[in-house]
Amino acid sequence: MSVSAAHNGNVEKRSFNRTSEIGRFAAMVEKELLELLRSFKLLWVPLVFILLGIMQPVSSYFMPIILEQAGNLPEGVIANMPKPQGAEVLAQTLQQFGTLGVLVLALVCMGVVSGERNSGAASLILVKPISLYSYIGSKWTAMLVLTWGSLAAGYLAAWYYTGLLIGSVPFKDIVSSLLIYGLWLTLLVTLTVFFSTMLKSPAGAAFSSIGCIAVFSLLAGIFPKQLGWSPGALSGFAYQAVSASIMKGDYFGWAIVSALAIIAGALAAAVWLLRRSSSVE
Amino acid sequence: MTALIQVKGLTKSFGTVQAVTGIDFTIEEGHCVALLGPNGAGKTTTIRMITGLLKQTSGQMIFHGAEADGNQRQLIGYLPQSPAFYNWMTGLEYVIYAGRLCGMTAVDAKKKAKELMERVGLSHAAKRKIGGYSGGMKQRLGLAQALVHSPKLLVMDEPVSALDPLGRREVLGLLRELKQETTVLFSTHVLHDAEELCDDVIIIRDGGIALQGAISSIREEHRKPIIELQLEEDDQSQRWLSSYIAQMQAAMQRNAESSLIMEAVLNDNIARFTVKEIEAARQSLLEDLTRERVKVRRLEVGYTSLEDLFMKVVTA
Repeated sequence: MSVSAAHNGNVEKRSFNRTSEIGRFAAMVEKELLELLRSFKLLWVPLVFILLGIMQPVSSYFMPIILEQAGNLPEGVIANMPKPQGAEVLAQTLQQFGTLGVLVLALVCMGVVSGERNSGAASLILVKPISLYSYIGSKWTAMLVLTWGSLAAGYLAAWYYTGLLIGSVPFKDIVSSLLIYGLWLTLLVTLTVFFSTMLKSPAGAAFSSIGCIAVFSLLAGIFPKQLGWSPGALSGFAYQAVSASIMKGDYFGWAIVSALAIIAGALAAAVWLLRRSSSVE
Repeated sequence: MTALIQVKGLTKSFGTVQAVTGIDFTIEEGHCVALLGPNGAGKTTTIRMITGLLKQTSGQMIFHGAEADGNQRQLIGYLPQSPAFYNWMTGLEYVIYAGRLCGMTAVDAKKKAKELMERVGLSHAAKRKIGGYSGGMKQRLGLAQALVHSPKLLVMDEPVSALDPLGRREVLGLLRELKQETTVLFSTHVLHDAEELCDDVIIIRDGGIALQGAISSIREEHRKPIIELQLEEDDQSQRWLSSYIAQMQAAMQRNAESSLIMEAVLNDNIARFTVKEIEAARQSLLEDLTRERVKVRRLEVGYTSLEDLFMKVVTA
């Protein structure tokens, strides 16, 4: 058959320069970031964090005036109100990130895998010769860029306004608390990616991951002695890192190790879940 | 002639339902093969297993002599029944992205993507968002992204079923060109599409293979002479026809070997006789007709079509 012989010749010649798995991974991360950019998430999520970050020092600064205007406090209370420390304000800022910030991040990440699987777009991607680790990993990486970027922007804004209005805080305290708190949010985002792989419903994924994070925090809060090594203690360590010199007990290291272990476990489980339904690889 | 893919005893069950029950087939390099069957026969399941999107319950797939282990994806370009893309991307961006996922460098992928967009007739819409594409355009974009890494095997699930007649003709035209360049496997429930494009056909029914082979040889092997007879609609003629058919059926049951007629069916006042020997059968029928002074409206002698065979195979 002359047609097919000619065709075979073409096929042998067609070889193009192949990039490695790293190259494909980079292409996928690029696509995820472009998606975040085109959907404006890369713009408004940092803005929300910056707003939250500025609000805390500003509201602390104006609190006496606000209370005075409200006007139903006895004389002398306001004059005697202690001025908050800069470090305290920053710890409160982190608490803001822990509620509204967590909610925003979970909502942004909740459909990251399930959305593509539900629409069928994932099946066109997964038939390409890519590894499932790259697929999950690229989404995770892009979400981390968003998370760390937003957190850093919001926290630095808070630090700047605190310095202006209340009192300066050493930069190294900011960095250490930022790193610890970033790990806490990384845990949240990783769990959201995992639940987004496991559950069809994006809302379910957001609910589950926020639930997990809340349970972690709650357990570490109720049993500080027994569960001080658990990842739930991380947010507490972050507050300490900025407000007081951190009490680096034996637990601190363990909390980081356990958080990293859960993150790695959740990513591996997400890949496993995805592979269970297909035979790719 | 080498086998591009050999499928052996491929089975898939979902819970207690067996969607595909142990099918075997071989696709030769350079051939165009249609997976033909009614809805729910297991076509999509089979295709998804070949592409690696679905894990088989049991059975083997051998690509170029090596067991499938996920690396077959490098060889395959896949177009699903209704492809879903990223609506926020432009058509060109998507094809470039598909190329990079197949391991092409950004520069190579861009060059190839432009070429393919031109080829599938989308160069005017290359810079538009996919969200605004029509069904036919999406199907053509799906073809472009499936072809970007020059796959050895192009796998398509119902490539034209969801399209209007115009879109259908466009895509079929493209496929006709493509099958000159690469091996093609596609599923369809429309016999006509298979007949028009393919060398080989695999007819599946209830998850198993009902019939497979080259279209030309199937047509040759299963071609049987038939006589179609239509009478005027007066009582006498109709009475004669039903008694004649009853008589033939009785004769068949008595002695299947020597009977001239193998099958007699009456449908919408048209009798169809599948016969063994056309000459003898025609002679005998004509003699009966003149002797009984039956009012014939139409008498036609011909051969069974592939359509008849298909209907018989999938409804048997």
